[in-house]
Amino acid sequence: MTPSLLRPLLVRAASLVAVLLVVLVLLVVSLGATGFSERMLGAVIGEELRALRPALAQTITDPEALEVAVEARRAELESAYGLDRAWYERLPSTVLRVFTLDLGVARTMRATDGSNRIADIVLERLPPTVLLLTTAMAITAIIGLTLGVWLSTRVGSFADRAISYLASISYALPAWWTGILLILLLSFQLGLLPAGGMYSTPPPEGGLLRFLDLAMHAILPVFTLVLVSVGPYVYIVRSITLDVAQEEFVTLARAKGLPGRVVERRHVLRVAAAPIVTGLILGLTGSLGGSILVETVFDWRGMGRLYYDAIVGTPDEGLIIGLTFMFTLLYVVARMVLEVLYVLLDPRVRYEDAQTLRH
Amino acid sequence: MRRRSAISQLLASVPGRLGLGLLAALTLLSLYVVATYPLDFGPARWSNPAVWSDNPSAVPPAWTNLLSRERRPVHQVVEAHEPSEVATSGPGETRVFELTFVQDADEPPTFLSFTLGEVRYAARPPQYALELVRPDGVRIPLAREVVTGPRPAESGPYVRYAQTPHRLLLSAERGLPEAIARALSSAYPEAANAEAMREALRTRPLAGLFGVPAADGSFELLPGRYALEARFAVADPGDVVSSVRGVAGGAVFGLFGTDALGRDLAEGLLFGLPIALLIGVLTSTLSTVIGTTLGLVSGFVGGRTDLVIQRVADVMNNVPVLPLLIFLVFILGSQLWLILAILVVFSWPGLAILVRSMVLPLRASPEVDAARTLGASTAHILRHHVFPHTAPFVFAQLIFFVPGAILAEAGLSFLGLGDPSLPTWGQILEQGFRTGAVFLGYWWWVVPPGLLIVLTAVTFMLLALGMETVVNPRLREP
Repeated sequence: MTPSLLRPLLVRAASLVAVLLVVLVLLVVSLGATGFSERMLGAVIGEELRALRPALAQTITDPEALEVAVEARRAELESAYGLDRAWYERLPSTVLRVFTLDLGVARTMRATDGSNRIADIVLERLPPTVLLLTTAMAITAIIGLTLGVWLSTRVGSFADRAISYLASISYALPAWWTGILLILLLSFQLGLLPAGGMYSTPPPEGGLLRFLDLAMHAILPVFTLVLVSVGPYVYIVRSITLDVAQEEFVTLARAKGLPGRVVERRHVLRVAAAPIVTGLILGLTGSLGGSILVETVFDWRGMGRLYYDAIVGTPDEGLIIGLTFMFTLLYVVARMVLEVLYVLLDPRVRYEDAQTLRH
Repeated sequence: MRRRSAISQLLASVPGRLGLGLLAALTLLSLYVVATYPLDFGPARWSNPAVWSDNPSAVPPAWTNLLSRERRPVHQVVEAHEPSEVATSGPGETRVFELTFVQDADEPPTFLSFTLGEVRYAARPPQYALELVRPDGVRIPLAREVVTGPRPAESGPYVRYAQTPHRLLLSAERGLPEAIARALSSAYPEAANAEAMREALRTRPLAGLFGVPAADGSFELLPGRYALEARFAVADPGDVVSSVRGVAGGAVFGLFGTDALGRDLAEGLLFGLPIALLIGVLTSTLSTVIGTTLGLVSGFVGGRTDLVIQRVADVMNNVPVLPLLIFLVFILGSQLWLILAILVVFSWPGLAILVRSMVLPLRASPEVDAARTLGASTAHILRHHVFPHTAPFVFAQLIFFVPGAILAEAGLSFLGLGDPSLPTWGQILEQGFRTGAVFLGYWWWVVPPGLLIVLTAVTFMLLALGMETVVNPRLREP
């Protein structure tokens, strides 16, 4: 990678790191200002003291001396965790705690191995979410690319108009409602597909059968996500390709008498490829939000469903903080991957800042 | 492009016309709601179970009868304020209120209830007896009660049931099966199997109340005109019985059916419309104003101001909104204004970046130079010589923001974080989802709120689509 390629990437990386930092600080400030972080640390200290008491009781028999020893330890812990200082002085250490998902234990939720540590629970739910999101985005990209480029050569045709209507509807569809409709129709009315969950109960034995079972359960959630995101994406691809197709160098290529197909592939697509990644980048926030809701509807055991479970019933603040941070992290990582793709695809980035080109 | 021609362009396109038509319809409906609904509709009515106690729970809309072969009973509410018959008896009076309804469905009503409104009496509490008079002439006694008497140290005239009307669920009265059995066996002595009939009545008293006994102990529905007769004996002619109400519970209800609490979904869905429009239009207006202003300043002033605004915008523009929205609303509380504020904070940056890029080439345009030479202030130049060039685009963005805000609020409500004092479409759906309406197949609870969200969002998408030729003149057709 040449330095000229590196520079725009570094700019984006800096901006994304700033996003992560802003979100972290926002999390920590709202936690501190509402007194929540104090309660969180208090619970951690209480936990440690409870574990300590029986150990101390073996060496100290006098109950009063025991109390004194426990209190001394409490004061020690409180100053170690910074509870004796104001929340804004504690900010850096709280940021670090959120960053490492060191958020204590969950109220009722457990990981499959029985651990109640928030880090364990959240990290266990990451792979299903990534699986759902990447599958849906890949399918959206393929459909969007094919359809969008095809439409850009037929502006104003019946298909173009029909699809711009469908794209509006697709954008207007709430992901979760679409999911509910599909469940009502395909699962309950027709009995074709499972209504929720990731595996049948009991899950089938054997790698291949297990995979097929997962695939069956993934069809509806993935289809829902694609359905609600593909419309706007087709539209973005169409508009961007159209813009490029109207530029002078394309007109020149056509004037030279090159066949339409060749112009499309060599001149238009070559330049449009990068903005098409932009389309995915713009849709990423939407897909992420969509996945939270879709997981909730389909009981897909990822981070999104965990969000819902942490909100309803007895709300679990630690989990919600951990999840908010993890979703931001997921977003930043996905963005970075797309940015690298973007820089690699567009030859012009080497001469200009990626920023000004995109808009 | 001037504003006038932007609107005529909008009217020239099919999606533009469709969108404007829909928008007009939605606006009219919203105005109707704003004019007729109380401001505290949420807490006082929608979330107050007492209001809905006389409605059947989770039943489909009445029009579904047109689609199915079986006719299910519609919900019938009959109210009377004046007695149909008054007779003097001794010093007092006997007043008879007659509440008639027609039973012509293929099933009996789902319940029968009686509600007594405000009663005022001078000294002795009125007594009343309730009877069902059937089309075959059989009278079935339903209940016999006395209005609550004077409390110690209370002096007349006594007012009862003024705040909370007195409600009797007649079909669940303990003595009802026995009363039906007695009335029916004397009217239909040939229905010999009295034991089987009693047994059937214990589980389904309504079948007997609205039916004729068959030989096997079951009942055959008796269609026709029924009357719920309330006979009041008042001790003083000046005593007042202000209103009585009879309800024959339906298995279908209204235009949109009811939810599990018996709430009329039509009412809730209608209320959701102005709320959705408010969320959409307010959020989009605020973020458009902020985004445009900052974009204009950033592009025109340049220098360090530009750098700061663009860096902030870039960071804010890249925050994943829904997780943060969930977190903030969860920590700070679910109030509508807070949700709106968060949405605005995270939606202005995109526009600020775009407007800036449009302003940059305008900065050195002859028009701006001329204005500057003539001594115009920066604010004046921005308002009169820069902004108008970006106006159609800004206007299109204003429209385009609306569905996004509506969808974001709906999603948040669906996660159970909506403002509880304002019922929205998302919340109606959330309650349906959480109480398992989806799995029980209550489609009328689940489909309409979503459809309304889609319809409202599509309205604005169509307008945005109609604006495309305004914003991008290259598309204005060959």
